[in-house]
Amino acid sequence: MNQENMLEIRGLNKYFGPTHANKNLNFSVKKGEIKGLIGENGSGKSTLISQIAGLYPSDSGEILLDGKPYTPRSPIDANELGISIVMQELGVIGSLPAGVNVFLGRTRQFTKNGVVSLKALNKAAADVFEKWELPKVPLNKLTDGMMIETRKIIELARALSVEPRLLLLDEITQSLSMNNRNKLYELINKLKSMGCSVIVITHDVEELIRITDTITVLRDGEVVGDVVSANTTPDEIKHMMVGREISGEYYRADMVPDYGDDIVLSVSDLTVPGEIEDVTFDVHEREILGFCGLSDSGIHTVGKAVYGLLKPSRGRVRLNTRDLTVKSASQALQNSMAYVPKDRDNEALMIHASIHDNFVLPSLTELQAGVGYLAPGKLRKLAQEMTDKLSVKCTDIYQAMDALSGGNKQKVNLGRWLAKDIKLLILDCPTRGVDVGVKAYIYSLMKEAKKNGVATILISDELTEVLGMSDRLIVMKDGRIADVIGRDEDFTEQSVIRVMI
Amino acid sequence: MQKLRSKQNPPQEKHNNQAVFALLLVAVIVVISVIFNFISGGKFLDGTNVVIIISHIVWPTFVAWGFCFLFACGYTDLSVGAILVLGSFATAIFGSLLGYPGVILGGLIVGVLLTFLNFNIFAFTKIPSWIAGISLAMIYEAVAVFFKVNKATETLIYTVMDKRLRILGELPWSIIILAAGFVISYIIYNKTTVGLNIRALGGNKAVAKALGINITKTLLMVGLICGLFIGLAAIIQQSIAGRTLVKTGLTSINMVFQPLAIVLLAQVLQKRLNIIIAVPLCSIIIFAIFNLMTIMGVPSGTLQEAFLGAFLIGFGIIGQRGYKGVVK
Amino acid sequence: MKKLRITLQDVVPFAAFIVIFLFFTIMSKGRMLSAFNLSILLDQSVMTIVVGCGALFVVAQGSIDLSVGVNLALTSVIATWAANAWGDWLLIPVALIVGTLVGIFSGIVVSRFKVPSFMLTIAMLIGIRGIVNFIQSFIHTQAIPKSMGILSAPYIKYPAFVIIIIALGYVFEFTKVGKYCKAIGENETTARYVGVPVSLMKVVAFAICGLTVGFGALFSLSSNGGTSQQIGLFFEMRVAMAVFLGGVLVTGGTSAKLYKVLLGSFSITIIVNGLSLIGLSQTQYSQSIQGLLLLLILGVTILASKKIGKSAAPADDEEIAGHSEDQTAKA
Repeated sequence: MNQENMLEIRGLNKYFGPTHANKNLNFSVKKGEIKGLIGENGSGKSTLISQIAGLYPSDSGEILLDGKPYTPRSPIDANELGISIVMQELGVIGSLPAGVNVFLGRTRQFTKNGVVSLKALNKAAADVFEKWELPKVPLNKLTDGMMIETRKIIELARALSVEPRLLLLDEITQSLSMNNRNKLYELINKLKSMGCSVIVITHDVEELIRITDTITVLRDGEVVGDVVSANTTPDEIKHMMVGREISGEYYRADMVPDYGDDIVLSVSDLTVPGEIEDVTFDVHEREILGFCGLSDSGIHTVGKAVYGLLKPSRGRVRLNTRDLTVKSASQALQNSMAYVPKDRDNEALMIHASIHDNFVLPSLTELQAGVGYLAPGKLRKLAQEMTDKLSVKCTDIYQAMDALSGGNKQKVNLGRWLAKDIKLLILDCPTRGVDVGVKAYIYSLMKEAKKNGVATILISDELTEVLGMSDRLIVMKDGRIADVIGRDEDFTEQSVIRVMI
Repeated sequence: MQKLRSKQNPPQEKHNNQAVFALLLVAVIVVISVIFNFISGGKFLDGTNVVIIISHIVWPTFVAWGFCFLFACGYTDLSVGAILVLGSFATAIFGSLLGYPGVILGGLIVGVLLTFLNFNIFAFTKIPSWIAGISLAMIYEAVAVFFKVNKATETLIYTVMDKRLRILGELPWSIIILAAGFVISYIIYNKTTVGLNIRALGGNKAVAKALGINITKTLLMVGLICGLFIGLAAIIQQSIAGRTLVKTGLTSINMVFQPLAIVLLAQVLQKRLNIIIAVPLCSIIIFAIFNLMTIMGVPSGTLQEAFLGAFLIGFGIIGQRGYKGVVK
Repeated sequence: MKKLRITLQDVVPFAAFIVIFLFFTIMSKGRMLSAFNLSILLDQSVMTIVVGCGALFVVAQGSIDLSVGVNLALTSVIATWAANAWGDWLLIPVALIVGTLVGIFSGIVVSRFKVPSFMLTIAMLIGIRGIVNFIQSFIHTQAIPKSMGILSAPYIKYPAFVIIIIALGYVFEFTKVGKYCKAIGENETTARYVGVPVSLMKVVAFAICGLTVGFGALFSLSSNGGTSQQIGLFFEMRVAMAVFLGGVLVTGGTSAKLYKVLLGSFSITIIVNGLSLIGLSQTQYSQSIQGLLLLLILGVTILASKKIGKSAAPADDEEIAGHSEDQTAKA
């Protein structure tokens, strides 16, 4: 083992159910090094540092801290060894004051006769703020009313109060204003000069190159690059993040946009505060309109808003085939629209109900006979036909969804809509967490729908997928449309990545 | 780089001067008192009535304080009324056996034990607390009736405590106990590790766990603390009333309603005022309203209940403003 | 052919019913099975079953209506008064309308204002009981008009009962309404994302429940001849017991089935009836047994549903990491 390395990770694996989030990772951090970590959504970055921080255990592989095996059972263990983390999701308790949040879980040290001296606690907290030159925060106030930036600073103070030798920062710069960001950079350098190390995760490639010594790039759970910051360029990093081999005929064979003239859906000035702004586009008959962007680009919000699940503050979604403005999901359902959500288990499917129940739910209106009668035979027939057609691997249609594999669940997720006569299909990450065989099958279903006249909105985190399947591609960034590219133009990763990140 | 404003960016930081708000609330109470007094032709602020008000708010306030801890974990215990009844029995029985120490021990032991038992059921079976509480109320009420079945007089079964042991129900003891309760609950809620951990747990379980807080241990402490306050409430209630009505039919749920209304109102005010401080103030306000109704001849058991129900619904609606999740 | 999937969750309520039935038959030395007693059992079950089937729509969504007892009381009082004051025939429509309106109110507060159903309906339990007591403090008990007494005749009552149950069963098992209610109970977010009109369905479920309360009021008024101080007392628990003892989960969903209400209603009726047959008619016996039984059955059915991996709440470690496949996509 390299003597310089404070932290060394070999062959790390982590699974979440069928998802292989970290694949045989090798990763190391030297003493006094500022290490950048970057990757697309789903690349495994947060998973990696969560394991370092002791939030959950690894499945296999080893982690060495100063040459000794490191297996923290909880974040407290990690703290004791000098490792602390500022998490991506908000980690303060709103109903407690700021000062308490800094020392929450470690209040014993301020306790005399069972009573916590808030005065001593707040003084210690103030000391931390002063030592690290953090902007002052009113320590007595509940964090509930505070801005996101302030809350992040409190979390930072908490992480620093542990006197860390290794500080993990997961996407905190995006919540900070310009001058606080500069203060953060100074803080990071101060840690470096003290011989401590920092791992920084951020989406801002330029920032990463500027403030770090080395950068590790992750993609699909694997390390695809380990570079010295001074020697690399933003383009090189971006390319490593998203570049993939496009294999086979799995996507479309043609490189020409192919869609009808009739406009099925017109979206104008769609705005959802805090998520998307002034989004305007049309979808044509037989078109596959792709949407891509980073996690906060707003692409997923567009899907929800078009289906009527979110109320826009401004703008309109107009379904031209029925000449109506879509205002609610139940309207969308009744007018031949379909929505396949990204979160399969929590938003898309009734996980404890049967395959049968999930298949028939969107079609109940159409399956009615007179007086609203839903013949069990008819429902059974639909469920059985779809199960057979899509080759859903199960014991029978009455099996519960949670027994199925991700790929088969996705077949039900998508298939229940294809059982209907739909005009507009909205797909959000349709091949996420699904094996190659099922992926190819889903693409073939999309091509078939296209032939049958269905207009499709394809929202995806996977660049190669949208490039492979779309007639036109809308790239979004920070809630706005950054570019619209046609299939016959420069339909390559380069042109997209440049705008996307 | 044009960045959209972050989603949950709340507006300007609110005025958090608690002392000012508390004084404001006290002022509101004073104003209400004057108005009520006027409406009732002077009967509201009459000496005996004031004594009635003060002594009657003590036990609901204690129950409400207990609820603060329970609510912090997201549980609602509807069997508290029945526990109070059983606690009152214990207070009377032990009191007649052991004098004052009996009064205190009886109520406390029963209150703590039963609340703790309830809490274990909430925390460790997955039965939703509201229905577990109802089932437990049914059981406890029946137990209470079993105890007194040999002294039954039709549907009203009551237990009487010797007058000499009831001093805790009188002034100045009521006020002293109220003050003591306030100090204890304030310290636990705001200044002990356990209290802070409980609030952390209730605020965001994931974060609390990530910070190393022992969930199981904390949950058990909630049961004990809540039980302490319920036990004290039982002692006080029995001391004031001197006897307890025991009925089946889930009538004990009526007893829970006033404290529930108090906590719901205090929760609404939570952002401006620490809930422990808000509780006794809300207690006074709510009781004052019902007291006025009684003075004005609005019969209890009928329209007063109607108002109570309406208040609960109203506070519930206000409290849930802006809630975006799924509600069953 | 649909394979019959029998799970622990389904078996326990049946087993409980059999145990209860055998226990009381033996303890009452067979008096339970006398023709006379069986007809009493049926009579006592009618109201519970009718309202239980209405409550099923609410429970299927994962909510609860604890105000059915007071709703029954209010409906009875108002309907009787209207019939006596303005016309005998009004008894039926007024009962149905008042019951439904109260239900609609609950539905709106739950769906629009997001107040948890147990809290709302308990508040109504207290509030409306207060109103009913108030009304009865000067109206006192009333008798229903003589002509309406015909409703208690067996050749009207039982066919009406059967028709109502069949209608409710039809709507619950064979129409969109029932299926949507179950979907909401299974996963409200999923239902919303498909495009099920969730808020509307919540109001509809409570309205149906209220409607059945109206029917229940008619059954009650006709067999008692009028109102009383006791109407509806503890009735909501009876209905809740009927639904849960039959094996419907508190979270509803696909565990909500009509036959379970029938099973549970008979179970609870046998318990109350059986206790009085063996001389333990005082409320404390039936109430304590009901309380214990409810805890037991709820605990067991929830546990059984988790064993098959059917847990509604994620396991603790999933919560901390906050991970699901979704989260890793954000990494």
